[in-house]
Amino acid sequence: MATERIQMESELRDRLRAPATGNEAVEAALSRRYDAGFVTDIESDSLPPGLDEGTVRAISARKHEPEWMTEWRLKAYRHWLTMTPPHWAKLRIGPIDFQAISYYSAPKGPKYKSLDEVPRELIETYDKLGVPLHERAKLAGVAVDAVFDSVSVGTTFQKELAAKGIVFCSMSEAVKSHPELVKKYLGTVVPQGDNYFAALNSAVFSDGSFVFIPKGVRCPMELSTYFRINAGHTGQFERTLIIAEEGASVSYLEGCTAPMRDENQLHAAVVELVALDDASIKYSTVQNWYPGDENGVGGIYNFVTKRGECRGPRSRIVWTQVETGSAITWKYPSCVLRGDDSAGEFHSVALTHHCQQADTGTKMIHIGRNTKSKIVSKGISAGRGQNTYRGLVKIEKGAEGARNHTQCDSLLIGKRCGAHTFPYIEVKNPGAIVEHEATTSKISEDQMFYCRSRGIGEEDAVSMIVDGFCKQVFRELPMEFAVEAKKLLEVSLEGAVG
Amino acid sequence: MLKIDNLHVRVAGREILKGLSLEAKAGEVHAIMGPNGAGKSTLGNVLAGREGYEVTAGTVEFEGQNLLELAPEERAAAGVFLAFQYPVEIPGVNNTYFLRAALNAQRRQRGEAELDSMQFLKKVREKLAVLHLKDELLHRAVNEGFSGGEKKRNEIFQLALLEPKLAILDETDSGLDIDAMKLVADGVNAMRDPARSFLVITHYQRLLDYIVPDVVHVLAEGRIVESGDRTLAHELEAHGYGWVAGRHAPAGAA
Amino acid sequence: MGAFLDSMLAGRDGLGGVRAEAAAALLRDGLPGPREEAWKYTSLRALEQRRYAPAPGEATDVPALAAFALPGVDGARLVFVNGVFQPALSDLQAAPGVEILPYREHPGQLDKDLEGHHGTGSADAFLRLNTALVEDGASIRVVAGADAGAPIHLVILGAPAAADLAWQLRLQVELGAGARLSLVEHHLGNDEHAHLGNLVANYVLGAGARLELLQVQDAGERATLIRRGSFHVGEDAQLAATTLEAGAQMTRHDFRVHLAGRGARLESRGVFVLHGRQHADTHMDVRHEARDTSSDVLWRGVADQRSRGVFHGAITIAEGADGADAALSNKNLLLSPQAEIDTQPALEIYADEVKAAHGATVGQLDEQALFYLRTRGIPLDAARRILVSAFCSAVFADLQPAVLRERLDELLATRLPQAGE
Ligand SMILES: Nc1ncnc2c1ncn2[C@@H]1O[C@H](COP(=O)(O)OP(=O)(O)OP(=O)(O)O)[C@@H](O)[C@H]1O
Ligand SMILES: [Mg+2]
Repeated sequence: MATERIQMESELRDRLRAPATGNEAVEAALSRRYDAGFVTDIESDSLPPGLDEGTVRAISARKHEPEWMTEWRLKAYRHWLTMTPPHWAKLRIGPIDFQAISYYSAPKGPKYKSLDEVPRELIETYDKLGVPLHERAKLAGVAVDAVFDSVSVGTTFQKELAAKGIVFCSMSEAVKSHPELVKKYLGTVVPQGDNYFAALNSAVFSDGSFVFIPKGVRCPMELSTYFRINAGHTGQFERTLIIAEEGASVSYLEGCTAPMRDENQLHAAVVELVALDDASIKYSTVQNWYPGDENGVGGIYNFVTKRGECRGPRSRIVWTQVETGSAITWKYPSCVLRGDDSAGEFHSVALTHHCQQADTGTKMIHIGRNTKSKIVSKGISAGRGQNTYRGLVKIEKGAEGARNHTQCDSLLIGKRCGAHTFPYIEVKNPGAIVEHEATTSKISEDQMFYCRSRGIGEEDAVSMIVDGFCKQVFRELPMEFAVEAKKLLEVSLEGAVG
Repeated sequence: MLKIDNLHVRVAGREILKGLSLEAKAGEVHAIMGPNGAGKSTLGNVLAGREGYEVTAGTVEFEGQNLLELAPEERAAAGVFLAFQYPVEIPGVNNTYFLRAALNAQRRQRGEAELDSMQFLKKVREKLAVLHLKDELLHRAVNEGFSGGEKKRNEIFQLALLEPKLAILDETDSGLDIDAMKLVADGVNAMRDPARSFLVITHYQRLLDYIVPDVVHVLAEGRIVESGDRTLAHELEAHGYGWVAGRHAPAGAA
Repeated sequence: MGAFLDSMLAGRDGLGGVRAEAAAALLRDGLPGPREEAWKYTSLRALEQRRYAPAPGEATDVPALAAFALPGVDGARLVFVNGVFQPALSDLQAAPGVEILPYREHPGQLDKDLEGHHGTGSADAFLRLNTALVEDGASIRVVAGADAGAPIHLVILGAPAAADLAWQLRLQVELGAGARLSLVEHHLGNDEHAHLGNLVANYVLGAGARLELLQVQDAGERATLIRRGSFHVGEDAQLAATTLEAGAQMTRHDFRVHLAGRGARLESRGVFVLHGRQHADTHMDVRHEARDTSSDVLWRGVADQRSRGVFHGAITIAEGADGADAALSNKNLLLSPQAEIDTQPALEIYADEVKAAHGATVGQLDEQALFYLRTRGIPLDAARRILVSAFCSAVFADLQPAVLRERLDELLATRLPQAGE
């Protein structure tokens, strides 16, 4: 069922290439498409659509999980059954048929023991996406875990990292190789019943990354996971858990793409971060799931629960996200600031074009004393896109000296888009200072005219101004990602002007 | 080079320019003076192609082509440059990046080779030195947090870098201290060239001591009401605009 | 059905028309629960369990006129005690072109106004309650071009009665094209009763009209007060509102403005000052529905002791409302470890030629200012009081006449933390 044609994609490219004159503008226009929209022709082993206890057991069995893990999943599943889907205040969305989704899909064949065994098609897929899994690419100096549909197909640099006591592997592997760590931390930041999609994920999660940085270790390289949905009619339910022990630090990157399809596919991930005393975790996302076409047909439903807990004093968690993909994005990477003097940050760029909808933001829960949080959110709406910032800053009674600063800016491009800002500020400590500022405007005509009067064309001027608008957030990304993010923004804005 | 004939312009439903004519030949410096609200900046904006300025009558020819039908960036590529009275801030957009994008966009449009970053930086360094601008300004965002004087000098710096054929300086001297004004004037004078013309809009005769104009115009109520040589500027300084108005009282009726 | 609705609606079978519809809807949906977004921070659980005697009940102790006079507010006067119009205390003499009709004396007008506003209603439970049961209130109409002159004083007073009462009041204010009206909505009472007041006010401003509204809420400290003001602002019309929330145990104030005509403008200034166990929830909801409309909202809040202040300030710019310019600022001081402030500014924007901004802060007094005052010899307590009071009165800075402004400052001063507290 998942064997679909690459030809379609190449035909599309040929059509686009037709008027090519070798000139740069055309080249540029060409690249302004959903580049990651191709399908990899590989046979897969998928579960039939549908969800019941049998499905949950089947997933667990395919992954050869221990009994406790199966039970954990079943508990979540039973809880999920008692829950009702969230009420979408600001989203246009049809009901999701959870029985029409396949909850497991993996490339066929035995599990690859090393990267050398990974089939050529897969390596090429990631190559094409700019994610190097093969040996020579190790020069890039980024350790990569690649998740293809429901399973991890390979993790690079494992040996090198292991030498420092760092564990970086797929979640499935971790369940077997580090059960004590998984048992200790899984579900402690995002409880099984936290919300509808988190409960679903807890029941059926397939794969994802597991990172453990032991006490005092600074992870010597960026860790990154590349998620790819390939098969049709499947959902992706990854689960990521990152633990930084006392004094440890790590920077983790995540990228996501999916083929162009005219169905809506569900992606419901859960990410948990735990930072102990003095630990620091930086989590960056460039999300480019297929957004659907201009008319809103197809695209990924991206319903994600991401939460980090600064458990120890002086710990720090930084979320950075660039969200350009998905038909619907619904995520609020959050920080629970439990440790005294701990700090949380959220830097976000969310772009909606055509019929995309994004409802994203963060929650900063200040519990410890002198906790600090910072929120920078940049929303860009174009076409008929709807972009909502929703955030909560909560200062609990004991959070003496807590500080928050929030800045939310929205940029409007076009007449039919929407930009919305819904911050919630709850303060119970008189020694706290919370500041929130938000602005919404269209691209300034003065700025446009200034650029154009210096010879810069309209489209370029727009991307230049938009890029400037997002600079504060891009600065938080590792270099390669920042470049990628900027490019993505340009691509996503294609046709937004005029 | 530039030929404006009977130009009428409406802004926000109000006629601001009411039959303005002016001709500047290659190599000439024309000063434009006039009371606040006379339409000087309006003229600059119309020449640069700002939206919302509706030309209801008249023509503007630039090197024999109809300037009014070109987009702002096409005018820039054709060689028109406006140094803004109030340069806008563009947060997050790096100044160097902006300049290079502008220069290369213009070169592309003219079918010239783009400059690579080494060539570009070399050029930038040269021009910076002439204007005594701080390097540091280049690393900041376009005009962001610049002082009033820095913004004006940045405009002249862009002028030097982009080397247009026609430069319109809209009150570039306002807000500059004496030394900065001399620097700006030196920068402009260094750029004087038989193939380049200037429209210098100013309120102060002092600037014209440094940038010596070939012609001085008085713009009042949307028209050029008086033109003359540089001595006209001195007369204005001495007598104010009322003096011109007095001499031309009923002229508007014509 | 909870005790509250039971006490309100039992035996009211004879209602007809819109009243019956409203009562039925209320019984069907009940009071909003905690999951209802608009009531997120204000729980009605306790209220649901309370019983009230049906109004009108006899007031036992009505204060003399002087007790509620405000300097500079010397136009016509309408006095309601426990929800009942008091002809003896009122003075309906008004400028030409101004018509004031108390509903108790003009029940036909009330029916007409209720009908007129039916259908525009929302699912709001208190609006339904009001529609079902209201018998009193007034309509105030200013004909096109007329200037109502001196401010009309609307006094809404809670007085001790044999039992705690629940009263409903309705107000219909209409300004014809170019008309001008200055209106003072004044709530007051003492602590010897715990009535529930429910006021629904509809305002319609015709083209070019201007309404200056001052709301002084100084109700008794055990009272519950629910208010809902809806403003329809026509072309080039202006609404300038100043609001002070100082009294009541529990208050909910909905302030909904429809900038419906091109060039319509709103300026809203407000402050809440809370102490004890007071709970004040203000919901500003400003909708830009036409081109070139502007809104400027500036609210402040102070919460001391065990009080809780809630501010929700939503600005919506509808599709096509190009040229809209909206600004909202909400600043709060939290003065006690047992107090809480929840603020929720919101922007919803569906047009692109707009400028919209909001800001919200919760914090304490500026340390530097405090220090400055102390270096000038002012003791810490006094310095605090000075700064808190300055923080609040910024809201009244433009209010005229000065005597009225001073009176409000005095009122505020009695509500601010006292020295040594
Ligand atoms: N965008 C606009 N909208 C409305 N009026 C405008 C606009 N631009 C210019 N005007 C009006 O046009 C007239 C001319 O303005 P302009 O800026 O050209 O004057 P100026 O001669 O440059 O004055 P100054 O010496 O003060 O710079 C002024 O009355 C101004 O208010
Ligand atoms: Mg000017």
